[in-house]
Amino acid sequence: MLRKKVILTFPPKIVEKPVTYQLIKEFGLWINILRAKIEPSTGGKLVIEIKGEESQVEKGLKFVREMEVGVDFLEQEVMWDKDRCTDCGVCISICPTGALSLDKETFKLQFNYEECVVCGYCVDACPLQAIKVTF
Amino acid sequence: MTTKRTYEEINAKIKRGEAVVVTAEEVISMVEEKGVKKATEEIDVVTTGTFGPMCSSGVIINFGHSDPPIRMQKVWLNDVEAYAGLAAVDVYLGATQLSESQGMEYGGAHVIEDLISEKKIKLKAMSYGTDCYPRREIESYITKESINQAILFNPRNCYQNYNVAVNTSDKKIYTYMGILLPNMGNANYCTSGQLSPLLNDSKFITIGIGTRIFLGGAQGYIVWEGTQFSPQEIKDEDGWVIYKGGTLAVIGNLKEMSTDYIRAAIFKGYGVSLVVGIGIPIPILNSEIMKYVTVKDEDIYTEIIDYSYPRLKKPSLGWVNYKQLREGKITIQGKDVPTSPLSSYAKAREIAQKLKEEILRGNFLLQEPIQRFPQESKFKPLLEIH
Repeated sequence: MLRKKVILTFPPKIVEKPVTYQLIKEFGLWINILRAKIEPSTGGKLVIEIKGEESQVEKGLKFVREMEVGVDFLEQEVMWDKDRCTDCGVCISICPTGALSLDKETFKLQFNYEECVVCGYCVDACPLQAIKVTF
Repeated sequence: MTTKRTYEEINAKIKRGEAVVVTAEEVISMVEEKGVKKATEEIDVVTTGTFGPMCSSGVIINFGHSDPPIRMQKVWLNDVEAYAGLAAVDVYLGATQLSESQGMEYGGAHVIEDLISEKKIKLKAMSYGTDCYPRREIESYITKESINQAILFNPRNCYQNYNVAVNTSDKKIYTYMGILLPNMGNANYCTSGQLSPLLNDSKFITIGIGTRIFLGGAQGYIVWEGTQFSPQEIKDEDGWVIYKGGTLAVIGNLKEMSTDYIRAAIFKGYGVSLVVGIGIPIPILNSEIMKYVTVKDEDIYTEIIDYSYPRLKKPSLGWVNYKQLREGKITIQGKDVPTSPLSSYAKAREIAQKLKEEILRGNFLLQEPIQRFPQESKFKPLLEIH
């Protein structure tokens, strides 16, 4: 089983196509929608967690790309600027999933992308503006 | 016999490259292992560090004179107003002043950071014009190199201890202690604890007017006690002494500073602040001072304050120590609350380490205070008198 967080970018012309339904029905994938912001006129983004057999996940993602839906992995959309970050840790208690933490030994910030749900709380909380999301 | 050392003896050892210097973190286990007496014999200096938002900060700038000259009355740097009620081309730019065009997205602290980074800063000044300064306005660009002085002068930095902020209301609040989630969803604190300068010399024996310090990556000085200086020793029910209320006014050459140790910060919904890195060396003059520098996170207590109450005296929700805070979770009224520091412990450690290395290299000598801080000081509220 493979688990992957993916950000799907929908152009306006396919907003009405039931892409998520097909990923579930035709490829047997488990889809957990973490965030969605899609407008009919401008398109938008969908943050999902996909779970399934590796080959099925690959086929599913190939299918959405063919539908002209953009596929990005979470690390590409949540940008943590390590040079700007001072490892203060003000973001860790506001993070609802524990994706952000301070290392017990070095006290440096750790970002576990696997746990991130792109809520954006850390973006608002960071006084150094070291975290940005393109969502 | 108890060991006693003078500043002269320590500086002579630093110059010979023989001084023994450790950080306020390293000294804890050394004293546990060797005992106070032996550690006092061996160690000459203990270095401390802190790196956190310090709003009461700013820079004094002298631009030099234009031709024809202007007696600047109103001054803006990148659209952030600086106070010009000084001589013709002197200003004081406060870190928290907001941009007139960008609001909370940019402020005095950003101008300070941009100056250090050698960026071009847009200068705009207006005047009423005088016989000796006929010009009424000027627009130009300045850089760190073009100006005569850029003196960082911070009237209140380096708080000895600070409270823990929580929010008991049912809505999110935006404060200088960060975003506080409703129903005590998080707790924010802001001290480097066992590394914090003023908790390692809690009685201000070696820290006073004239003390040479690490300030933003350069060598600076303590020039006075900080504003609102009111050190207090409070005994809690278990007999622990809680220190709080000490602050410092510091000065240094901004041109020599580094953005590694000075940064602009934005607290969403609150405003702009300057994150300042300060390190203070503590000379181990005797075993009494050695005892103070062995202070540990678990010995330092701070008060949990409810920031949802919008009045001066906010309710207390109890006390907690820095060991508990640093573990990432505290219990308040039976509820587990995740904690976050606003000051970077990793950076505080880096500063204490860097200061240690500078002393070991012979680049940083210790300066005995030329005057100690007042022993008594009151922190008065502002009364409304009609």
